[in-house]
Amino acid sequence: MKRLAILIIVFIALLTSCAAPQPAPIPRPEPPAQKAYPEVKGVFIEGTSGGDAETLNWLLAADATSFSYAGQCIDSLATYDNDWNVHLRHLAKPVEISDDGLVYTITIRDDLKWTDGTPVTAEDYVYTLKNLMFSDWLNYTYQTDWQEEVEGETVFVEVELVDETTFVIRRQTADPEFIDNAIYSLTPYPKHIAIKYEGDLEAFTEAEEFNNLTYTGSLGPYRFKEWIRNDKYVVERNPDFYLGQLTGAPYFTEYVTKLFGTSAAMLAALEAGDIHHCGIEPEQVAKFKQMEGIKVYTVPTRAYDLIVYNLRPNGWEGLQNKAVRQALSMSIDKQTFIDQIRYGFADPAFSFIPMPSPWYTEEGVSKFGIGDLYDKEKAKEMLLEAGYGTREGDGSISIHDKDGQPIKLTLVTTTGSKLTEDITLFVKQELGEIGIEVDFKLMPWPTQLRQYMMNKVPGSDQEPNYNNGPDAVSEEPWDMMVLAFNTHPIAPSGSRVFFITDGGLNFWGYSNERVDELFTGVRSKEAIDPEVRKQMYAEISQLIAEDQPADFLSFPRSNSAFQANVEGIDPGMRMGWNYHKWYFAEP
Amino acid sequence: MKRGGLQNYIIRRLFYAFLIAFGVVTITFILLRIGPSSPADKYLANISARTQDPSQVIEAVESRYGLDKPIYEQYFNYLVNLARGDWGWSFSTSMPVIELIKRHWIYSFQLILLSMLFASSLGILIGIYSAVKQYTRTDYIATFFSFIGISIPNFWLGIMLILVFSVQLGWFKTYYDTGLPMFSLANLKALILPVITLGTGMMAGYTRYARSSTLDNLRKDFVKTARAKGLPEHVVIGKHVLRNAILPIITIIMFDLAGVVFGGAYLTEIIFGIPGLGRVSFNAIFANDYPVVITITLIGAMVVLLTNLATDIVYTWLDPRIRYD
Repeated sequence: MKRLAILIIVFIALLTSCAAPQPAPIPRPEPPAQKAYPEVKGVFIEGTSGGDAETLNWLLAADATSFSYAGQCIDSLATYDNDWNVHLRHLAKPVEISDDGLVYTITIRDDLKWTDGTPVTAEDYVYTLKNLMFSDWLNYTYQTDWQEEVEGETVFVEVELVDETTFVIRRQTADPEFIDNAIYSLTPYPKHIAIKYEGDLEAFTEAEEFNNLTYTGSLGPYRFKEWIRNDKYVVERNPDFYLGQLTGAPYFTEYVTKLFGTSAAMLAALEAGDIHHCGIEPEQVAKFKQMEGIKVYTVPTRAYDLIVYNLRPNGWEGLQNKAVRQALSMSIDKQTFIDQIRYGFADPAFSFIPMPSPWYTEEGVSKFGIGDLYDKEKAKEMLLEAGYGTREGDGSISIHDKDGQPIKLTLVTTTGSKLTEDITLFVKQELGEIGIEVDFKLMPWPTQLRQYMMNKVPGSDQEPNYNNGPDAVSEEPWDMMVLAFNTHPIAPSGSRVFFITDGGLNFWGYSNERVDELFTGVRSKEAIDPEVRKQMYAEISQLIAEDQPADFLSFPRSNSAFQANVEGIDPGMRMGWNYHKWYFAEP
Repeated sequence: MKRGGLQNYIIRRLFYAFLIAFGVVTITFILLRIGPSSPADKYLANISARTQDPSQVIEAVESRYGLDKPIYEQYFNYLVNLARGDWGWSFSTSMPVIELIKRHWIYSFQLILLSMLFASSLGILIGIYSAVKQYTRTDYIATFFSFIGISIPNFWLGIMLILVFSVQLGWFKTYYDTGLPMFSLANLKALILPVITLGTGMMAGYTRYARSSTLDNLRKDFVKTARAKGLPEHVVIGKHVLRNAILPIITIIMFDLAGVVFGGAYLTEIIFGIPGLGRVSFNAIFANDYPVVITITLIGAMVVLLTNLATDIVYTWLDPRIRYD
């Protein structure tokens, strides 16, 4: 009976539950949204066919690879993304700059630690600058970044400790690009370790802590694991990475830089899936773009290639004449050069500031070698006007020197590069079409440096250097040289070494007083105003394009290939700015 | 053979080796340091990238490594350090030279050793077999392939092997993995393609030498005598012919060994990414890292001298008629 009653109650309950409307669900608060970060997994292998680094003791380094290796384990104060936005790294807040542009107040994060747990303090930075980078005993390679000219004297900037996390840098002259050229890339050495080696160059050079980066603590996304010279550089994930505490970055367990002796072997490794990323040559891009499982990014670079004219007394005398230089540049077709030699992976160059730079301008810049200013007939007319030709009876112009002899120019280039050899042949062909013969000399780089770029005043006791004054000449005569230079896109004033009259790398003898003034101007108080600086750079570009001390050929673009499962990449000129956020996607 | 005679011979050769070593160090040092190049030259490319005045940077680098001192002073300091067992500091790799050599010699050694074993054992066997079967189809096939082996450049062969066996078939990694344990099957497998690349040309050469040398000996009277005595053919070939035929081949193998140590393995190391002494020396030459170049040149010279000495000693064992007293 009791069982029957229960059954009836259950039956009624079921009926009512079917018949009655469903009560509205009680709204529950959503759990706090947890941002999903990529899983940490896998060994990322980057291939390179360039040279190996020299040292991880980066204060002794002069090569880019050494800075790149060390940079995986220790960040600098700040970095840029592809749009030139500044991203703070060791900085706690943006650098404060006084209105007169002379005082920089730098505040670092308070959560940075060396490997032994000691906090990284402003004192470490001040010590690194004053006792290491500015010292005589260490002879830091890039001391000039931290120097300024004051009343004809070269002096170091002043550095002053404020508190645990703050220090101040004082200049006596304003330089709006000092922050980009020097401050943002500053990285500290641990004072409590470095002090043991202070003053002893040999001990500092051989210090195990610095050569194995054992001190880097929480300062970078990775920690040093292994370096087999000429083979591979291996770093492992740093679980204490100061930027990884919230995001879990970096997302690779190891990051390997694998060196290949040839690019053919490296590309085979990419194709076989043995490496995840490498740069590829323009002629290989089409092949890799068709491959499933590989993605290719084409990005601008900070480089430009150019044909330098020798404006010194041992170059062809015609090169002293601006109109002649313009005529030569007007005869070389940049678009054909880009299409045929650069396989389309370049933009035409007319000056030294690359297109992605905020200071790039085309306004008022003469575009020799393209459009209306690629005109061989007009070039011949200009040479005729300059006295290097004769108009024939049929109206045509034959080109020759002032003695009526054929013009023969010597083009110097380095051996071992197919690209420079192709450029050489292209220039020979183009100038040949207007009646100028080009002989080329191919030689190893050290020979080119010593015999063609270094110069001295004949008969003087000068040591050969790259710019020994306007009367200095190289050991061997030359007329043109195929080269490639780089420009810092955000701080192009460093290129002054090539373009100002007494620039340390102005081996070609270019001189223009106004250009000299403007290069001084972009590093002055007036140029703190970006608009003023932009105008100054525009005028420099216009003057250099007009003067044509060199034929600026192109701004090449580079191609980077990745396995398709690598995600988080931000393609651009500064492709690796966020490499600690790269990860392997789920298969 | 008089035991004392051989000992004196060895001592005399070792004394010469010491003199040659001194000469090698001196000549290499002078040639490297009097040339126009400086270890600081290579910085120029990066200097232009960072747009620095090069003269200050080059002065800084030269001063740091004592390269701004007079050459005789640098040479004297180098010899004094060498006498103390200090082989110097490698500028281009930032480590003591001896440490650099210690870390890298093994990669070259295993490659050269296995390649020599592969080339000499197969080459000699095929050569003898080819000679014994002269003018048969086997002989023609062996001859054909040995000429191909001699003609193929090893850098081309290496790339082809990678494309076929690594990229297309996926049997091997495209490069040598230094992370593998040295004495493991995985390491042996990783060395198969490099060994074939380096060894094929040598093997083809040994096949030709072995065939020719065997044919010479097969016509000799002592072979006819052995056969007349009723010895089985394998004894005639294995005991009488082989022992005489192998003498000139050993000389060639030893010369090849010296050649390979001096740079023949370099291309194979480059193609397969093996960080052996070939790559180390090549990079050191281009970086003007003279302490490394001198040390590796010295090692190469010593290998040549010692292999020659070893060849002479092996001769006395293989051919009792040879004496050094």
